Amino acid sequence: MQPSAVPAPVHRGEVSTPAAGSPRTAGAGPTPVAGPRGSAGRNDGPKEPGRARARLYRFGLGLAGVVGVIALLELVVRLGLLPEAWFPPPSEIFPAFARLVVSGELFGPVGQTLQGWVLGILAAAAVALPLGIAIGSIELAHRLTRFMLEFLRPIPPVALIPAAVLIFGSNLDMKVFLIAFGTFWPILLQTVYGIHDTDPTLRDTARSYGLPRRARLVRIVLPSALPYIATGLRIASAIGLILAITAELVVGTPGIGVSITDAQSAGDAQDVMYAWILAAGLLGFLLNGSLQAVERRVLHWHTSFRGEAR
Amino acid sequence: MLVVSDLSKTYAPGGEPAMAGLDFTVGEREFVCIVGSSGCGKTTMLRCLSGLIPPTEGSIELEGRAVQGPPEDMAYVFQDYSRSLLPWQTVAGNVSFPLKYKGLSKAEAAAATEEALAAVGLADRGRSYPWQLSGGMQQRVAIARALAYKPRILLMDEPFASVDAQTRAELEDLLLDIWRRFEITVLFVTHDIDEAVYLSQRVLVLHKPAHVFEAIDVDLPAERDQMDTKKLPRFGELRSRVLASLRAPDTTSA
Amino acid sequence: MIRARLGDWALALVVPLLLLVGYDLWARGAGDFFFPPLSVIGGNFADDWLFERVPTDLLPSLARMLAGYAIAVAIGVVAGMVLGSLRTLAIALDPVLQFLRALPPPTLIPVSLLVFGAGDSAKIFLIALGALWPVLLNTVDGVRGVDPTVLDMARSYRIPARARLLRVVLPAALPRIFAGARTALAIAIILMVVSELVGASNGVGHTVQLAQRGFNIPEMWAGTVLLGLVGFAFNALFVAVERRALGWHHGSTGRGGAPTRRTRLRRERPRPVLTPTRTAVAVESAAAGPAPTEGSVPDARRQ
Repeated sequence: MQPSAVPAPVHRGEVSTPAAGSPRTAGAGPTPVAGPRGSAGRNDGPKEPGRARARLYRFGLGLAGVVGVIALLELVVRLGLLPEAWFPPPSEIFPAFARLVVSGELFGPVGQTLQGWVLGILAAAAVALPLGIAIGSIELAHRLTRFMLEFLRPIPPVALIPAAVLIFGSNLDMKVFLIAFGTFWPILLQTVYGIHDTDPTLRDTARSYGLPRRARLVRIVLPSALPYIATGLRIASAIGLILAITAELVVGTPGIGVSITDAQSAGDAQDVMYAWILAAGLLGFLLNGSLQAVERRVLHWHTSFRGEAR
Repeated sequence: MLVVSDLSKTYAPGGEPAMAGLDFTVGEREFVCIVGSSGCGKTTMLRCLSGLIPPTEGSIELEGRAVQGPPEDMAYVFQDYSRSLLPWQTVAGNVSFPLKYKGLSKAEAAAATEEALAAVGLADRGRSYPWQLSGGMQQRVAIARALAYKPRILLMDEPFASVDAQTRAELEDLLLDIWRRFEITVLFVTHDIDEAVYLSQRVLVLHKPAHVFEAIDVDLPAERDQMDTKKLPRFGELRSRVLASLRAPDTTSA
Repeated sequence: MIRARLGDWALALVVPLLLLVGYDLWARGAGDFFFPPLSVIGGNFADDWLFERVPTDLLPSLARMLAGYAIAVAIGVVAGMVLGSLRTLAIALDPVLQFLRALPPPTLIPVSLLVFGAGDSAKIFLIALGALWPVLLNTVDGVRGVDPTVLDMARSYRIPARARLLRVVLPAALPRIFAGARTALAIAIILMVVSELVGASNGVGHTVQLAQRGFNIPEMWAGTVLLGLVGFAFNALFVAVERRALGWHHGSTGRGGAPTRRTRLRRERPRPVLTPTRTAVAVESAAAGPAPTEGSVPDARRQ
C-alpha cells in the first residue's frame, strides 16, 4: 500500500532527467545537494555528524555567500568595473527596496501580480486536474490525446500575448487567461503521467485485495500520482510568475512588471528599478520555497523525501 | 610485499576510531582473505591500503615503498560493479580506460584489453555495454579491468557479494585460476566465511575497530574444488575456527 | 510491432483532426472577426512564411535565440563544472543561485535595454541570461551527484585530474546537463518571443505584434502558429540529439530509447551510476521550465 515501496519510483515521465544527487536538490533553501562524499555513503565512516550542525553549517555558509556576493557587487561597481549607470551599487538598491517596503508602495503591485498568478493557476488546475485524471485512467483517451499533448506542450505561451490582448484587452482577464493557458499544460501532463504511470504491481495488489474501482482511484492511484501533480504545480508556479510579469511588462496590466518599466522610464531611478526586480526575484524565491515546503510535508512518505539515504 | 604497520584511522578529531593498530603483512603471490563483521572498518582499511585516503597513524609499504597515493602496482575491484563501471563506455572501453593514462600505446592497450577479457571469458563481449550484461558478467568486466592494468597486487572489496550463489562459485574459481596464471597477490575482503576459507591461504579475522584479531593459516590442498574441497573435514574445522574467532570477545583490544 | 505503432499514431491523430475540423466549421459559421477560418489563416501563413519573411523575420529570430542559448549552455556547463567541483563554494553560492533562477527572466528586459540598447545584443543577452541558470544549476547538481564509487575507481587507477573531470565527471553529469539544457531551451524560446514584443524591428514576435496592432487577424494567427511550430520543432530536435548523446543512459536505466529485449530484462539491476528519480524533476521544475519535465522520450510510455 505504501506507494513509496516502488523500486525506481515514479516520474517515468521525466525520462530525460536522471539524477543521482539527493532528492531535494531544487531546494530553495539550505537543502543538501548531494550525499556528503565519503561519509554517509560508507558503512564505516562517521555516521550522522549531527544533522542540526550540518544544517547550521549550510545556512551559515549560504549567508556568507549572499553577503559575499553583495559585497563583491558593491566593490565592482565602486571600482568602476561595472558602470553605475547600468547597475547601481547594492548599497543604493537595498535602501530603495527598504523604502518601497516601508512606504507600503511595494504591496500594491506585488498583490496585483499575485492575484493574476493565483487566479490563473486556479483556473488551469480546475480544468487540468479532472481532465488529467480522466485521460490518465482511461486508456483510450490517453492514446487519443497523447500526440496532441506532445505537440501542444512546447508551444511558447507568450506567443498568444498579441491574440490575448486583442480578445481580452489589456486587463486582468488577459493576464489570467495567459497564465491559465501557460500553466494548464504542465499540470495536465504531469497529472496524466502520474495517473497513467501508477505502478502496475500496486494496482494489481489493490485489485487482488478486492478494492472497488473508486477506492482504487482514491487510495492507490491518486496518492501515487501526487508527486507528479505536485511537480506540475511547481512548474506551473514558475511559469505563472514569468507570464504574469511578462504580461505586465509587455502589455502594461498593473503589477510588478509595470512598476519596473515605470521606474525605468522615470529616468535616474535605476536603484528603484532594481529594487522592483529584487522584489520579483524574492517573490519567485518565496513562492518556490513555500511550495516545496508544502510538498515536503504532504509527500513525506515519498522516497525522494525520505532521509538522506538513496 | 605488502607491509601494514600499526595503521589507525579516526575520521572526526576526537571521534571513535574506524581502524586502530592494524598490523599485517602479505607475502609475494599470496592469497589472503580478510573477514570481519559488517561495520568493523573493512572499507576504511581498503581505502587506506589503496591510497585513497591517508591513515591517521601508521604506515603502509608496498614492495618497500610507502603508499601515499594510489600505487601503480595495485588494482582495486569494488563491491558495487554497477557503480564502478562507466555506463557510457563499452566493455572494452571500460577495461582499456585506465591504460591510456598508464602510458600504454593504443595497440598495447588493445592487446592488454583483449587478453584480460579473454582471461575472464568475455572475449566476445568487448563491444557490449556493461548494462547489457548480467551482474556476474559485469563483475568479470571489473576484474578484467584490474587485470589489464597489470598490477602486482589485487585489492578486492567483497567483489562477489551482489551476485547469485551459482555465479559466485563460478567467479571464485575464475579468480583462483587468474591468481595462479597471472602470478599476482590477492587481498580479498569478504564477510562470507566459506568464501574466505575456500579461496585463501590465510584468513585474517578483523575485529572492530579494524585490527587483526587472529590470523588463521588455511592448510588445505592448493588445488581447490567447489565440491571436494568443501567436503574435506579440514574445511569444516577451519570454517568453525574462523567463525569462533569472529565471535570471540575481544581481548587484544588495541 | 510497426503496424501497432502506426495504428497508435493514426489513433492519436483523430482528436487533433476533429478539433481542427470542428474549429473550421464553427469559424465559417460564426464569422467571428477574431477567429477566422483555417483556410484564411493557412493562406496567410503561406503568404508570409513560405518563404517571404523567412530571411527577414524568422531567421533573425532563430539566430538570436540560438546565439543566446549557445552562450548560456557554454557558460552554464563550464561554470557548473567548476562550481560542482568546489563543494564549499557551491554550498555558499546556493541561495544566490536559487534566487537568480527564481527571478523571472522578463524582468531583465529593461536591464538589457539599458545596457545594450534596442539591438540584437540586448535580446541575445536577455536570452542567455534567462537560459543560463537551469543549465548552471543542473550541471552543479550533476557534478555533485556523480557516484563516489566511480570517482574512487578513477583515482585508484591513477587517472589524472583533468581526464577524471572530462572523461568521468562530465559524462556522468551529462543526463542532468541535458535536463537543464532542455528547460533552458524552452526559456530561450519564450524570451525570444518576449524580447521581440518590446522594442524590436524584426522577428516573428514583432511581426505578430504588428499584425495585431493593425488588426490583421489572420496574419496574427499565422505568426502565432509559426511560433508554436518553432517551439515544437526545437523540442523535437532536442529530443533527437539527447537520445543520441544519452543512448547509454536510457539503456542503462532501462527507460526511454527503444529498449532492446535485453535492457528490458535487465531492469531490476542495482542502481546504475545515475538513476532517474524525482530529483531531476524538482530541479528542472524549479528552473521555471515551461517544458514540463516529462518524457523526452515518448517511447517510454508506448511500449
